[in-house]
Amino acid sequence: MTAQSTDLGALLARTALRDRAAFSALYSAHGAKLFGICLRLLQDRAEAEDALQDVFVKVWMNADRYVPEVASPAAWLNTVARNLCIDRLRARKTGGVEAEVLEALPSLEPTPEAEAIRASDGRRIEDCMGKLEGVRAEAVRRAYVEGESYLELAERFEVPLNTMRSWLRRSLISLRECLGDA
Amino acid sequence: MRDLPPDDIALAGEYVLGTLPLSERQAVTRRIASDADFAREVARWEAHLDPLAEEVMPVSPPRRVWAEIEARALGVPERAPSGLWRWLAGASAISAAFLGAILWLGEPLMPAQGRMWVSDMVSEDGAVRLAALYNEKTGEMRVSMGGAAPAPERDFELWLIAGDAAPVSLGVMPRRGQAAMPIPADLRQVIANATLAITEEPRGGAPAGVATGPLVAKAELRRI
Repeated sequence: MTAQSTDLGALLARTALRDRAAFSALYSAHGAKLFGICLRLLQDRAEAEDALQDVFVKVWMNADRYVPEVASPAAWLNTVARNLCIDRLRARKTGGVEAEVLEALPSLEPTPEAEAIRASDGRRIEDCMGKLEGVRAEAVRRAYVEGESYLELAERFEVPLNTMRSWLRRSLISLRECLGDA
Repeated sequence: MRDLPPDDIALAGEYVLGTLPLSERQAVTRRIASDADFAREVARWEAHLDPLAEEVMPVSPPRRVWAEIEARALGVPERAPSGLWRWLAGASAISAAFLGAILWLGEPLMPAQGRMWVSDMVSEDGAVRLAALYNEKTGEMRVSMGGAAPAPERDFELWLIAGDAAPVSLGVMPRRGQAAMPIPADLRQVIANATLAITEEPRGGAPAGVATGPLVAKAELRRI
């Protein structure tokens, strides 16, 4: 655990105890990162500011739910921000059509790719992403970092919506086998 | 814990990536609240994928954002902490079963929830009440002070008494409210069925690590 994550952990623990100074220090320490994440996902400054407020109000209310052995403090904070922004994104881009088309879930059979990845000992996400086919890794990255929906990904990679979803789900299974249970 | 089918593993991953349309996303949110294995899988994905956010550069938010957060979060009356804690703060004689019920109803579903132990310490005159809740899995004890605070120049100190061994200090209690105290690894073995006690000590705690003040209250840790 890095010194920085220990500090964030201490600030988060004190925030859970309603320590206002710690909450303010937490904002100073990690607010810019979370604003960066919100901006990237929402692509709209005013909305990102709004979302960042929601994120920190939520952190103030729920800091006692942080469980140290499940996530690093930074990862927990990032997750709160991402969840909130993605909720906003999906509410904004209600693809009625998308939801309907996606309803039929392609089922997942093990793929040769998954087998190959399981055989490797790469454990970090970068290693595992590196083992995916280039465009598939790019799709995962675009979804996570840019918040692109299936519709946007399907347009970008010029494949039908359901094909896009099959791709991504298979990529996720391969990734998960590579990452292990830790 | 059961092994999740590949479809569920992929669904948890899709949820964390954020690609699901709103209705499916909401359905997954509900499932996380009711299915601990699935919630654990979501947590794994969150931890695994988090390094992907490293490429996102921090951007300083304008000042008005913090001002707004202060007004919204800090300016309003505090949310009563989760029901359990508010309750523990005023707890004096609670039946273990009842406390257990509150714990499970009042606390969010936590994948890492371990076995819990509780100790309710009440002074003889009932003026000082202190509740401690120990989570075996996290090794953390949370304590909640209720009732009278110590005299201005004094502090309450919490001690662990296991068998015939000398009491070991767990730390000085907050004068009011709650505190989290991590329990050192070597004490975790003996904490089950140990007794907790509070004494009144000089400000900052017993100077030599040995209790000097009067015993205020003590109670066994009970599994709940």
